[in-house]
Amino acid sequence: MDDVKSQLRLDENEAYEETEDTGYHPKAFNEFERWFKRQTTIHGRRDLKDLLFKMLLSVVVIIVCMPFFMVLIQVGTVGMGVLLGSGPGQGLDFFLSTPGPGLQGGVLNAIAGTAYLVGIAMLVGVPLSLFGAIYITEYTRPGFMRSSVEFAADVLAGIPSIVFGAFGFTFLVIYLRIGMGMLAGGLTLAFMMIPTVLRTTQEALRQVPMSLREASLALGATKWTTTWKITIRAAFPGIITGVLLAMGRVMGETAPLIFTSGNNLGLPTSVTGPGSWVASMPYTVWSYISDPRNYVNDKAQATALTLMGMVLLIDLIANFISRKVTRRLV
Amino acid sequence: MAKGTTIEVKNLNTWFGRKHILKDISCYFEDNCVTGVMGPSGCGKSTWLRTINRLNDTVGSFRMTGEIFIEGKDIYAPTADVYSLRRRVGMVFQRPNPFPMSIKDNITFGPKLHGINDGDELDEIVETTLKKAALWDEVKDNLEQPGTTLSGGQQQRLCIARALSVDPPVLLMDEPVSSLDPLSASKIEDLIVELKKDYTIILVTHNVQQAFRVSDRAAFLYLGELVEFDKTAKIAEAPSDPRTEAFITGRIG
Repeated sequence: MDDVKSQLRLDENEAYEETEDTGYHPKAFNEFERWFKRQTTIHGRRDLKDLLFKMLLSVVVIIVCMPFFMVLIQVGTVGMGVLLGSGPGQGLDFFLSTPGPGLQGGVLNAIAGTAYLVGIAMLVGVPLSLFGAIYITEYTRPGFMRSSVEFAADVLAGIPSIVFGAFGFTFLVIYLRIGMGMLAGGLTLAFMMIPTVLRTTQEALRQVPMSLREASLALGATKWTTTWKITIRAAFPGIITGVLLAMGRVMGETAPLIFTSGNNLGLPTSVTGPGSWVASMPYTVWSYISDPRNYVNDKAQATALTLMGMVLLIDLIANFISRKVTRRLV
Repeated sequence: MAKGTTIEVKNLNTWFGRKHILKDISCYFEDNCVTGVMGPSGCGKSTWLRTINRLNDTVGSFRMTGEIFIEGKDIYAPTADVYSLRRRVGMVFQRPNPFPMSIKDNITFGPKLHGINDGDELDEIVETTLKKAALWDEVKDNLEQPGTTLSGGQQQRLCIARALSVDPPVLLMDEPVSSLDPLSASKIEDLIVELKKDYTIILVTHNVQQAFRVSDRAAFLYLGELVEFDKTAKIAEAPSDPRTEAFITGRIG
């Protein structure tokens, strides 16, 4: 203990001396040095413990963040090579051409396919979950009905995506005889996004102060007008954010599509039947990465990079909307 | 221009679930004057106010007996139309609650509901109601701005203007200044006095001084009972019930 104490006195003196000849250092550096000294100077056992713990935590943080950067570097370097290259199926061509013979072309089929699938999923899933959430939140009282729907949605949101895939296959493809293709794939994705959108919409509606609804009712508006013109309007940023986040999520799903959407090296030619089979970006990543040819593997990374970029963009938009309109209410 | 109307309450009892809120209330609100409803928190003031425009109907566990007549018509009669009732009974809430839309749209929302779609007519309504609410001069150049960007006091005046936009003879005010700073509050009090020329105003407040300053007649509600209902001056000087006296001297509530 005495040892530590003398050490401490020494440290203090040193620190004092350091701060005295400030004139030589640029200001910012000097401040950093002082800050660093303050962080690392040990004034006794408790400070030592504190410092060690701080170091431990920062190591953990580095480990936690590492996978993100590793993925980014791995996908980024290889993927960027393809996106910026000028060979066949590289550069702009990567987005604008279909794979063609030997998978040498771009992945337009996958990009268009994902657009079709997500489009169908949104077209079906968003209105359903929106009206569902409105009915549950605005038209029912808390009770058995409401809590059972909420419970079902929460359970659905937690179901592994491969189960949705299996369900889509047995119910849509086999039982309803829709057949594989964009319709079955899109509907399966819709099933996946419904619970998320329903719950986020509900949450957004719940955030709208009661007095806003009452003000509208007190002017002689009907319940429906109030819901449509006031409540939904006030909850709109929250609803949009939920929709966009769910969209970003289903965009990257492979499992629900394996048995439902089929695959296609060209663009779909019809809405039903074999012509409606579509590729999708995650599915393409999966099949390209398991290909023995190196240049096909590289295209898988480029597709993954594009997909990540798209999802990131959607998340940023969602974030922007939700942040920009937070000042809206009382 | 609206002229106030009378409201008669007969043997009003209300419950939320099993809780008996208002107990056998009968009274008569005169037209073109401000009636202040005082009472401690939780005594049923707001509930009483909200029975007059049937806003309590939206609460599931609400139940009531008794009758309320506006211009001689029973508003709880099975044939009564709740939407036209609410058009005739405006309401201002405790906290400013402008709709998340522009100032102009806040005002035109009500008239549009009731079928006024002509642009010029709507513009005129916007101007006259904002003038009545003493807000016109402050916002006339920014009518397209969101209503939520105004200050608290301005927002509350916007809410008053919104309530006036459908030209109701009756105006209910539920502690309209309790969330505002003193300056904004006194502006709105002045406004209330100004408005009573054309409207029957019922003002709920837990602030005795405010009730005395603003109202012509005053009611004192205690634990769901209408203890006293008389001219404000009379209540201020010589309350007839000991509980009223205890309340206005600050010993209860």
